[in-house]
Amino acid sequence: MTGVDLWTIVRFVHILGAALWVGGQLALSLVILPLARRMLSAEAREGFVGAAGRRFGLLTVALFVPVQVATGVALAWRAGVTWESLAAPGYGRVLAAKLVLFAAVMLLAAAHGWAHGRGRRDLARALAVAALVGSLGVVLLATALSGA
Amino acid sequence: MSTGPNETAAPTPERPRPGASSASAPRVRHLRAHVVIVVWLALALITATTQHTLPVAHWLAIHLFLLGAVTTAIMVWTEHFAVAMLHAPPPDPRWGGVRLIALNVSAVAVLTGVAVDWPVLAGVGTLGVVAAIIGHVAALVRLGRGALGGRLAPVVGYYRLAGVALIAGAVLGGLLATGALGEAGRTGVELAHIHVNLLGWVGLPIVGTLFMLWPTVLGVRMEDRTVPVARRVLWLTGLGLLLAVPALLLGARWPAVAGLAVYAVGVGWASALFLRTVLRRAPRSGASWMLAAATCWLVVGVVADLGLMATRELSHLDPALHGLLPVLLIGFVGQTLLGALTYLLPVVLSGGPTDRAALADLLDWGWRTRLVVLNAGVLLLFLPLPAPVGAVGFGAAAAAFAAFLGLAAAALVRSREGAVTGGAGGAAAWRAPLAGAGIGVLLIVFALVAAGLPAGTTSGGGGSGTAATGTRTVEVELKGMAVSPSRIEVAPGTVLRLEVVNRDTQRHDLRVEDGPRTPMLGEGESHLLEVGPIAADLEAWCTVPGHRAAGMSMTIAVTGSADGGAESEPGHGHASPDGLDPAAEHSDGWEPRSAVLPPAEEARVHEVELRAVEADIEVAPGVSQRMWTFGGTAPGPTLRGKVGDVFEVTLVNDAEMGHGIDFHAGALAPDEPMRTIGPGERLVYRFTAERAGAWLYHCSTPSMLQHIGNGMYGAVIIDPPDLEQADREYVLVSSQLYLGEPGSEGQVAKMREGRPDAWVFNGGAGQYAAAPLAARAEERVRFWVVAAGPSDGIAFHIVGTVFDSVYKEGAHLVRPDDPGGAQVLDLAAAQGGYVEAVFPEPGHYALVDHDMRRAEAGAHGIVKVTP
Repeated sequence: MTGVDLWTIVRFVHILGAALWVGGQLALSLVILPLARRMLSAEAREGFVGAAGRRFGLLTVALFVPVQVATGVALAWRAGVTWESLAAPGYGRVLAAKLVLFAAVMLLAAAHGWAHGRGRRDLARALAVAALVGSLGVVLLATALSGA
Repeated sequence: MSTGPNETAAPTPERPRPGASSASAPRVRHLRAHVVIVVWLALALITATTQHTLPVAHWLAIHLFLLGAVTTAIMVWTEHFAVAMLHAPPPDPRWGGVRLIALNVSAVAVLTGVAVDWPVLAGVGTLGVVAAIIGHVAALVRLGRGALGGRLAPVVGYYRLAGVALIAGAVLGGLLATGALGEAGRTGVELAHIHVNLLGWVGLPIVGTLFMLWPTVLGVRMEDRTVPVARRVLWLTGLGLLLAVPALLLGARWPAVAGLAVYAVGVGWASALFLRTVLRRAPRSGASWMLAAATCWLVVGVVADLGLMATRELSHLDPALHGLLPVLLIGFVGQTLLGALTYLLPVVLSGGPTDRAALADLLDWGWRTRLVVLNAGVLLLFLPLPAPVGAVGFGAAAAAFAAFLGLAAAALVRSREGAVTGGAGGAAAWRAPLAGAGIGVLLIVFALVAAGLPAGTTSGGGGSGTAATGTRTVEVELKGMAVSPSRIEVAPGTVLRLEVVNRDTQRHDLRVEDGPRTPMLGEGESHLLEVGPIAADLEAWCTVPGHRAAGMSMTIAVTGSADGGAESEPGHGHASPDGLDPAAEHSDGWEPRSAVLPPAEEARVHEVELRAVEADIEVAPGVSQRMWTFGGTAPGPTLRGKVGDVFEVTLVNDAEMGHGIDFHAGALAPDEPMRTIGPGERLVYRFTAERAGAWLYHCSTPSMLQHIGNGMYGAVIIDPPDLEQADREYVLVSSQLYLGEPGSEGQVAKMREGRPDAWVFNGGAGQYAAAPLAARAEERVRFWVVAAGPSDGIAFHIVGTVFDSVYKEGAHLVRPDDPGGAQVLDLAAAQGGYVEAVFPEPGHYALVDHDMRRAEAGAHGIVKVTP
């Protein structure tokens, strides 16, 4: 492929979205939340963690999910993916697995927001970690799709 | 000091530990060592779970576990306990660190060397392992000098002896891994390697440590007789190994059995003591239950090993031992590691009593479920159940291990934070993220399984401008003598990849017409076949003889091209030239197969090793043909003896498919000695030649038509008791010759229809015309003839002579002093006999199959008679 065309940009946006979302989760859980736990008072921490979670959730719903779905569908259409080919071993099946895992991760993230709102901290933490680990799996499958 | 000698060796562990500092150096060292152990365990688990994807994965999983995780753990803990039990000052931690690093780096070298097939690296790694262990043993010996020596000091003897065992085991392993050994004696070295490592390096420290650890974990006082029992058990197990390992190495079965029995008595004695301790107080904690179950599996494993060895030839032992591996590796070694770490990690990693309780609480999480699941899994693997049940068993055991690994990782992370901040924090705080991580990992695993990973990589069908149909990957199953799907339709130009999985217990491969082929695949193995762009219809089939005929083929059809089939008809198809060029010359360096038959050896027992190998042989002038052979030649070596002689034939299968052997000269049940053995296996075939004659031997594996037709035959000559001395003796094995890819459709069709490309003596068309047999005038020359077929017999005649002596199928038809004479020795397929001729004068006497079709097509030669 030579030069930068429209499709390069679509793919760029798709990958950038994934990087932001997965990277955002990693940064939150590996850098920001541990520091908040150590450096902030219990009260301040509560407020900070809540605010950070809400903003990340808003970004996810308002920007990330629509952009990923739109660019993903466009890329699949461009690659000639059909419903039928999703069941075929190889590219189709990996893509299907990735879509299902992505959907599961989004459900987990949504459930995390709900649990956090209800003050069920343990459940919320479990769901957050599950969503993070699951999203790493989405990245793994995406790598498998473009690799080889 | 948080890990003073008395802490772990003390029979009453619940004592609070005064003044434990949170970030003491030993604690940090333990932390690091256990991170390494957990990483090894995780790698072993991942490899074991995905083992069908890599050829060396089975080996790799076992060695990641034993050489990586278990060896590191034993090194760390034996030193730790030795200090405690000898009441010795701890050795220089720097050297301990150097040894651990050397061990781990060397282990990585060994594993990498074998995985990428780089023997030099594996050899260097082996030397490193040996060096690290020598250092370890030296440190243990040095600890003993000048130490106060506690009551349990004799246990350190277990650790020293174990170190010596690993040195021996590593050297043997190095010989195997680097291939320095060749094939000779491989079975013995393998068996010795397995036993000295599992029962010596791993078994001894565990049994020794349990004398102290078992009562400690149960929270009771040690039995008074523990020390004398420990001493005696050390003697018994040590002597047992000293007897069993060299015996295995030398292939002496009964001394090995005796050694193993002595070892078993030692283990039994120790177990009896442990049992008495349990009777005083039943196990309550996860650690104690796991240790108890592990000890039971040790007893089961050793007794089963003993039973197998007592009832089977050593050469048959290896496959049977594989059934025992789950018991010893998972049930005994793995579970001991789990139980011991569950108890010991809180002891060495905690910063104080509260912290310790929290860590213990964390590691105990769900132990009842894990215990039951793990042991049920081992039981399912151990019992002779169908394969899917075994897979469930493995899954259960793996899940229990994975759960422990998660907990151990959490304990290590938590302890590290504790070491840094001094904070305690309840174990409960880690359960939520742990559960979350578990859910996430499970989701990924399901997604990977659904995606068909990691059984094969996938194509970049979505790449630049290529439609998803540009590359197609299709899963192909080999099962039940069928290839499924049996038909694949692709658009013209599609780049096709076949992900071939063998779901059958038999070995199969898949070969694409004019294209690539998979290696022979064992049960559960898979291979990705890059067929490339498809322009015309193609066939693909399993090349194991008879399998294609039984239906193991598939069609790759191009859609929308009605004439695709015609196009695909390969003009130059199978390399099977019709007819041989009679004017051709043998290639440079060609040597005829010697027909000279030496007299029978005096020895009454004939030991022979026959290797089933494929070889390219010049079967006619300028024509090379891939043959399946016994010993690299077709026919295989001629065996000769007298009536009553014993032949002990070791068949070694170095080929890619199964082979067996059938000696017509002996009578044995076809089931066992004539059974087909797989690649890499050995079979000892022992028969007594009760009757004289010229006998055929041949491969006993179906399709025999193809195995014999491709060269797997030979002669056994058993002299009649009254056999007169002749001046010269020759042996001629006659057979049909079929050219072409062995097992290919074209070749097999010719075999079925009895249309050989040539008829040959001793495997070469016209070879004794090019290199005549020698004789002198007036000499009595005896010609032994065996008709190997597979389908035609022979009418053996020598132009210009009269046979005055004919011996056929066990009877003299003509003797020299009879008035009659004979012109032909007629043999049906598989018959044999001899004729004698006295050549009247110098000259060139043609020896032929008097069926002239055959004589003209290769079955002819010359006896050059000189004055």
